[in-house]
Amino acid sequence: MFHGAEGKCPLVEDSFSRFPSQSNIYGLCQAGERELLAATLKGKVVCFKYQDLRQKIRPVAKEVQFTYIPVDAEIVSIDSFNKSPPNRGLVVGITFIKDSGDKASPFLNIYCDYEPGSEFNLESVAQSCLNLELRFTPFQLYHTEVQCGDGNETVFLLSGHDQQIHLYKENASLHQFEEQPIGRLFPELLDLPSNVIWMDMMRVSGGRRLSAFGCQNGCVGLALVKQEGPEILQSWRIQQDSPVSKVLLFSLGTPRLQTRTDQDASAHTSQITEDGNESYNLLVTSTIEMAVVYRDVHTCGLTNSICLPESNQYDVVLCALVIDLEFDGNRELLLGTYGQELLCYKFQLSDSRQVHLMWKRSFKSPLLSITYLDLTGDGLRELAILTLKGLHILQHSLTWSANLVLQSLRKRASLLH
Amino acid sequence: MRSVSYVQRVSLDFSGTLFPHAICLGDADNDSLNELVVGDTSGKLYVYKNDESKPWLTRSCAGMLTCVGVGDICNRGKNFVIAVGAEGWLHLFDLSAAAKSESSSQQEALFFDDQTPYFTQHIPANTKVILISDIDGDGRNELVLGYTDRVVRAFRWEEPPDAPELENGQLVLLKKWLLEGQVDSLSVNPGPEGLPELMVSQPGCGYAILLCSWTQESPADPDCSASSSPEGDGPSRDVILHLTSGRIHNKNVSTHLIGSIGQGFLKPYPDGVPGSSSEPSKCGLFALCTLDGTLKLMDSTEQLLWSVQVDHQLFALQKLDVTGDGREEVVACAWDGQTYIIDHNRAVVRFQFDENVSAFCAGLYACKEGKNTPCLVYVSFSHKIYVYWSVGLERMESTNLLKVLEEQTEYHELLRRQGVDPEDTESVRALIQDVLYGEKHPAPP
Repeated sequence: MFHGAEGKCPLVEDSFSRFPSQSNIYGLCQAGERELLAATLKGKVVCFKYQDLRQKIRPVAKEVQFTYIPVDAEIVSIDSFNKSPPNRGLVVGITFIKDSGDKASPFLNIYCDYEPGSEFNLESVAQSCLNLELRFTPFQLYHTEVQCGDGNETVFLLSGHDQQIHLYKENASLHQFEEQPIGRLFPELLDLPSNVIWMDMMRVSGGRRLSAFGCQNGCVGLALVKQEGPEILQSWRIQQDSPVSKVLLFSLGTPRLQTRTDQDASAHTSQITEDGNESYNLLVTSTIEMAVVYRDVHTCGLTNSICLPESNQYDVVLCALVIDLEFDGNRELLLGTYGQELLCYKFQLSDSRQVHLMWKRSFKSPLLSITYLDLTGDGLRELAILTLKGLHILQHSLTWSANLVLQSLRKRASLLH
Repeated sequence: MRSVSYVQRVSLDFSGTLFPHAICLGDADNDSLNELVVGDTSGKLYVYKNDESKPWLTRSCAGMLTCVGVGDICNRGKNFVIAVGAEGWLHLFDLSAAAKSESSSQQEALFFDDQTPYFTQHIPANTKVILISDIDGDGRNELVLGYTDRVVRAFRWEEPPDAPELENGQLVLLKKWLLEGQVDSLSVNPGPEGLPELMVSQPGCGYAILLCSWTQESPADPDCSASSSPEGDGPSRDVILHLTSGRIHNKNVSTHLIGSIGQGFLKPYPDGVPGSSSEPSKCGLFALCTLDGTLKLMDSTEQLLWSVQVDHQLFALQKLDVTGDGREEVVACAWDGQTYIIDHNRAVVRFQFDENVSAFCAGLYACKEGKNTPCLVYVSFSHKIYVYWSVGLERMESTNLLKVLEEQTEYHELLRRQGVDPEDTESVRALIQDVLYGEKHPAPP
């Protein structure tokens, strides 16, 4: 079978949508369950989804008119999330720079509709805007869930060229987002050594979180924080020789049991189940050096490192993702480079300290951002890759996946009897 | 409209300029693998093999090459390369010897590399398009040439019955047709009775069927005369013009045509050539395209299967089986590199080649791994020919896993045994997610 063969990308391109202008590494986000938002430089936001029409599905990329983005604006970053329960609603954040000639002024627009019934309607969300002027050039717009009071809440974090990360949190009584001091909820993000290019956070067992950031001056910071309090349990810093382009926290997962029961576990909670043996890793990609994976960061910090061979051969690594491409419970590491290559690494089963390059796939233009979600509404997720020229959707081979599903269903059926 | 981005390509060096029909894919050296044959305006013929950027061999011809072809023109079970110049010089090259000598040694290859053509003949000048095919249904190939002065001529290779070598043979004119408009394409398509019909494109999305009147004189084939036009006595009657229905076209817009589009009755590629033998009971499919962006698929009873309007200037029309199901898709290319691949059900896939195109062809080419694969070939204006060698698609239309699973007979039964109602899409989706990723997805808001 051709699938999973050494040296060949098992995914096939289903569609490519060309954009009117280029995007950047902060330009792609998932909005809602089955839609993607891609921001292009010239102030346009494109919504991509698969439309169900007469028993057929077809890819559709159409522009969404987000209000209060002036025509001369250049979008820097976009991010979106669904509010944590019990709150409901889709929130979209867009940062842009309005260059009216004399002075460039940066803004953060937060879109969120409070009208019951239209909280998830992208068209109406795009019409209700909170416009915040910024005093710094924005970089990455990120969201994460924090514990505050007795519930959880999702907040925006925005890094900037002022060596700070800013927090935007909803003020429930005013029904709007406002900037709040970062130190109270994220003490680990105070006193940064440089401008943060990328940050990532992950909830880990014991009510803790890992939070990582990579800076323009090559500094990588990592902290283990107790959510309650919050209290920094441990923190690490390491200096690399070139700007850090991406940091990504991930767990490698454990090979799945065939008789897995239907436990209600979501992507994140499955990683913080009772077994404390789960290992957490940090991927750090730099603009010049090889990409590095730091293993077992919650116990070893930044000491146990593995270099990813050939990851510096294709220009800067700009995006990365860890997913289980072959549905065997072992996760693969994908790197997208400015050199127009998608690289796939696998941790060797026998020795998880070894990583080898499994395959690479070329693209027509530099890869900027990458995400994995179910766009076609069938339970099977697609790989969305934002490149300088547009958005590529890569699909698992459906014939192969269908066989796999039938096989597993047969196995389950035989176990039932 | 679905669009894809092909990336796997090789670039071949080509510094000349060429006419749009001076490029073709075919087995030039009879090794069962296809080569790319290109002729330029200075009379140089290039043959490219696999992914080598330099030509495998070159030949020099007299005059400006306007069209090249590969085929068994002499009916000897062996392909020759034919290069025809605007001035009327027709050259035949036998490249099988070159392939053999190459396998022995490089030194010998140079020695045996015979530059002279195997056969040369002067024919009327101003050639434009070429077709090597059986146009009269006698099982033997004819050579058909279209001219810039709206003339089409058919030739047949004839040689004394006991002649051992080609030198005694020559091309004999069979017939000359005069048309009203420019001829941009020549093609053969099975007619309603399954017999081949010679078709030429005519401006304004029209086409004409040219009757092979010499078959009527043959007493051995009375059926054939019955099928041709009843009033077919004068030479002008041997051209049956068809203007395709629909809205009024620009009467002068240049039109291309391709016939014998594979319909997949047989297994894919039965003898290495897709669609080479179609069911005789069924009539053939042909496609038309115009420079103002009309595309049509019709069958030989003049029934329109579909019509597509695009806003690109289509200048080349080819057929290629990209899905590997034996049915050939219609491939049309525009000057700006926009390429449309359309199947028989009108499903469209687009591909944008990022440069302007001076010539385009599609077909099987042995680019990698020593086997013929579907390829798209673009000649750019930057001294390069680009061959996209991995253009296969699993399917023409986007679909999802649920629709693929629905085609499996046991699927519904397996769902029921899991206690999932096949009609309940959300539950099915959650089950598949659990099977593949080992996690339940939170219910949608």
